[in-house]
This record gives sequence, C-alpha cells and structure tokens, in this order.
Amino acid sequence: MNERLGKVVLRATNLSKVYGEGAMRVDALRPTSFEARAGEVVAILGPSGSGKSTLLTIIGLINPPTTGSLVFGDRPVITDGKAVVNLATMRRQQLGYVFQRSNLIPFLSAEANVRLALEIDGVSSRESRARARELLDSLGMGKRLAALPGKLSGGEQQRVAIARAMIHQPSVVLADEPTAALDSGRGRQVMELFRDSAHTHGAAVLVVTHDHRTLDLVDRVLEMEDGVLSERQPA
Amino acid sequence: MMDLAIRDIRNDLSRFILTAAGLGMLMSVVLAMTGIYNGMVVDATVLPDTYGGDLWVVQKDTQGPFAESSRVPALLADRIRAVPGVARTRSYMTLNVQHELAGGETLRFTMAGLSWPDDLGNALPLQQGRALRQPHYELVADRALGLPIGAALRLGRDDYTIVGVTSGMVSSSGDPLVFASVSDTLRIQNDLASEAMRLERVSRVSRVRRSELGRDPATIARAGSAAPLPSVAPPPVTAILVDVAAGSDIQQVKASLAAWPDISVYTIDEQRDLLVRGVIDRARRQIGLFRALLVAISAIVMGLIVYTMTLDKMLSLSLLKLLGAKQRVILRLILEESILLGLSAYLVALLIGELAFDLFPRRVLVQDMDRLALLGVVLGLSMVAGMVGLRKALAANPNEVLAS
Repeated sequence: MNERLGKVVLRATNLSKVYGEGAMRVDALRPTSFEARAGEVVAILGPSGSGKSTLLTIIGLINPPTTGSLVFGDRPVITDGKAVVNLATMRRQQLGYVFQRSNLIPFLSAEANVRLALEIDGVSSRESRARARELLDSLGMGKRLAALPGKLSGGEQQRVAIARAMIHQPSVVLADEPTAALDSGRGRQVMELFRDSAHTHGAAVLVVTHDHRTLDLVDRVLEMEDGVLSERQPA
Repeated sequence: MMDLAIRDIRNDLSRFILTAAGLGMLMSVVLAMTGIYNGMVVDATVLPDTYGGDLWVVQKDTQGPFAESSRVPALLADRIRAVPGVARTRSYMTLNVQHELAGGETLRFTMAGLSWPDDLGNALPLQQGRALRQPHYELVADRALGLPIGAALRLGRDDYTIVGVTSGMVSSSGDPLVFASVSDTLRIQNDLASEAMRLERVSRVSRVRRSELGRDPATIARAGSAAPLPSVAPPPVTAILVDVAAGSDIQQVKASLAAWPDISVYTIDEQRDLLVRGVIDRARRQIGLFRALLVAISAIVMGLIVYTMTLDKMLSLSLLKLLGAKQRVILRLILEESILLGLSAYLVALLIGELAFDLFPRRVLVQDMDRLALLGVVLGLSMVAGMVGLRKALAANPNEVLAS
C-alpha cells in the first residue's frame, strides 16, 4: 500500500442498483464493494452505459442504492440501501463535486461560488472569504476572484469548480469527466490539481474519466463494465 | 450567508428593472383606480360640503338635488325661517352650462347659486381674487375652468366677470363649479330669447282673453306688457338650506319641517350619504371590480414572472441542492427576489402616481391608507408569486446537474 495514503474515508459494501422489474429489470450496478483512502486519487474507467455515473450518484448520495451500505470514515450513511443520516448534511460536509461542465452558479463571482460551499454550512462570510481567496490564489485564480463564470475560460472555470469542491475539506471528492471539455494540456493541469489537492487536503478523489493520457497521475484505476466494477491490474 | 437574491438581481439588473417597471405600471393603474374612486367621492361631496347647512329641504317625496330633480318655491325660505330653532335659510340652485367662447372653444361647467347677501362665497377655497361683492354680474370660478380673474363671460343676455378663482371645486360629474348669486343663476336658467318672450306675451294675452279676466281691457294690456306680472311666482329653486340656531336640536327642527305636506327634509349627512350611495355607487362598484380584475391580472403576471425567473435558475437550484443547501436557502432566494420585485414595482407605481396623477383631467386622490393597502396587496402578491416559484424550485433535482 502507498505510504502516503491515509485511513479509509469511504467504504462501499455490496452496493447495487436495479431499475425496473421482471422483463424490464436492468442491473445498472451489480453488487460492488470497494474502499478509498484519504489522499488517494482513483480513476474509474468504462464505456458509456457501463454504470459509472450510477455509481457516482450513489456515492454522491443523490440516488439511493437498491442494496448495500456506505460508510464515510467511521460513520454509516447508508445501511441495507436505506439512508441512516441526513443526506443533504452529508453532501454539504463530506462530499465535493466536480463535473464535465464546471456548473458554477452563473450569477456568483468565482470567489462567491467557492464561498458558497462554506456558507451554506454556516461558516461566516469573513472566514469563507479568507479561505476562498487563499485557495483560489493557490490554484492560480487570485486575480480572477471577482469574475463571473461567463467571463472565465474553461480551464479557469474547472479550477474554480475544484476549489468549490475542496474548500470545505470533504472526505470524498467526486469528479465526473472533469477534463472532457478541456484540451489535453489543460486536462492534465486539472488532473494535477486533483492529485495535489487530494494530497494537500487528504480527500479521496474518485474521477470518472475516458482520458487515458492522465492515468499516470492517479493512484489506482477501477474499471466498470456492465455494472461490474473491477480493479485494473498494474501493467 | 451571502445574499443570493441580491447577487442574482445584480447579475441582470436591467432585466430586473424593466420587469419591475412593467409591473409598476400595472400597479399604478390599480393605484389610479383607487385614486379616481376617492376623487369621485370627494368631487361628489364638494357641493354639500361647501354649502353646509344642517338641513336640506327639498321637493316632497324626492331625495334631493343630488339624486333627482327637485323644485321648491324660493319663498319657502321665508316660511322656514319662521320655524323655531331656525337661524338662517339659503336657497340652493345649480345649473349645468355649456358655453361656447368666441374662439370656438366650449366651456362646460356647473353654475351654483349663492344666497345673496347671506352667502357671498367667503367660505369658498379662494386661490385668487375675492368673493362676490355685488348681487349681479360677478362670478367666482374654479381654476379648472381655465379663465383668469377679470375674464368676462356672456351668459344669457348679460356679461359676467370672474372676480375670484377657487381650487378643487367640481361637481359630481367633474365639471368645474362657477358661483354666482342665486338670482343671477335663476336669470340665466330662465333666460328666453326675445322672440320666445314676444310669443309668450302673445300667448298670455290669448289665455287672458279666453278667461273671465278677458272682459277687462286693462288686464289684457297688462298681460301683454313686458313688466313682470305680480300674480306670477318667482322661479323655483332646487332646495332650501337650513342652519339651525346654536343650542337647538337639529332632529327636532327636522321633525317640525318634515310635518309639512309639501316638502321632504334631510340632514346634510343624509344628503351626503344619498349622494355617495346613490349617484356614485354604480361607478364605485365598476371601479371596484376593475380594480379586483387588475389585482388578479397583476397576480398572474407576477406569478408567471417569478416562475420564469425560477425556471432560469433551475440548474443553479439543483446545484444548491446537490451541495446540500438547506431548504431555507432556496426558499429565501425565491421569496426574497419575489418580494424585492414586488416592492420595486410598488415604488415605480408610487413614482408614476406622483408624476402623472396630477395630469389627469379629473381628481385622482391617493391617500396614505391607499398606499398602505397597495403595499399589503403587493406583499401578498409577492408571497403568492414566490410560492409559485418555490413549488418549482423545491422540485429541483440534484441529478439535473449531472445530466447537464
């Protein structure tokens, strides 16, 4: 095991997702178990429709699984397919999200988009401003704090999105094809940011990606096919 | 927590301002309707309020000059003055006049008689000039007539000079009031063309000839003369106003007069009530219904606007939900925007009222209570519209963010 990695922050056990019944039954995710550790960057590869996004929405506490359990750190969140805690609170405190499109709130500046993730959890404006500025500065966005998303380039928007996902120091960051809309150079920069942020902030980063050129930047690669998740063996 | 609503509004301020301006114009019509109604009530009661009088004596079984036609003999004033408790009587007489000026312009006004010499018009709200000083050929006119002091009007066979200008004195139909002595008002009302007078004299002679009096040549000669006949009563007036002496009981005097078989008696409050309920009740209901319709339209328009504003933000709302924002964050965003929109529209409506209502040809009287009531309506509409948006907003699905 990599010495740099911390304790297990995410443990999924027998997670499955079934849509429909009888002849209409679709096993979007077959019983799947895995773990992710603090500071670890995990890539999830797989063709379209293989169940990657389903897995992401279940771990992201957006869709409930049909079966299985999820534990964040030491805290059970889903047991036997049922939520045992307030999922909105868990999303607010334990999870960060980055998407293919940055999905920043268009009427908020770069700084405000990042602050928002803190302030919806009750952090004061003064503290959120200071922390957002510091983080954006560290991501090279210090001079673009007041810019609205529409005035930022695709790479800049993704850096703001990463800052928003990291600012509240979540235990798990979920990224759904974050480099798909970027050229290879900027895509690599974004993956480096994920790696650095994961190492710095101690979050586990799960990245769904098709971009094989950046796999050298991740710690582990999982492959998904027909709803089955498997670990890719080192080449 | 940062104010998301303010930031959203600031992001597209021009759109917000235009929307608020449009809604404000709609609400200004609601305010105008209220003001027009108030103005109607005030205009309608200008005459009784100006003339005062504790009791109004009118033709038997009629409801007085504001409700229907009333004619009582001018000499009735003398009879009434003899009743214990009566301090003063005045004749009341109004007349609608449409007068064409030399330039072809048409003046329409209501002429109201003042009982010379008891009432010279000193109680009128004079802006310029003075009250009447002589019993004939002088007028006090409202400024809405548009004629200055010193201007002369030819009415009937005589020229009348404007000696005073009042403000806000209009009849219940909105025409400016012009005050003259009762005798001048009667003279103008009963003015006949020379040919009509000649024909009347011939007719009179003919009638006398057919009667027993026709045997007397002197009587026939008098019937055909231009001088007024002593046997012909002076023209009737509309009503007699009675001022009750200090210390006397108005109801008691009223009861005394009401016993007379040829008249009906009302207190001034009853006259005012008859006027408001009778004359302007239909207009009031019409305006009330129109106002209710406008409020309903405003509610629908506002609901649609807030709903559209919410639709525009659905992705942001889904994102807020995905980030774990509490319901109240979303609730505040939608409701605050809706209320700010409503309040901005309200301010626009007030501004329009301040700037435009004075330009209306009839009185638009908006009182503080009306402004407060509109504020209440606006806040209510904002809440309802906000609820429409909120219903949609709370249905935002975090999955939408992943699907986008």
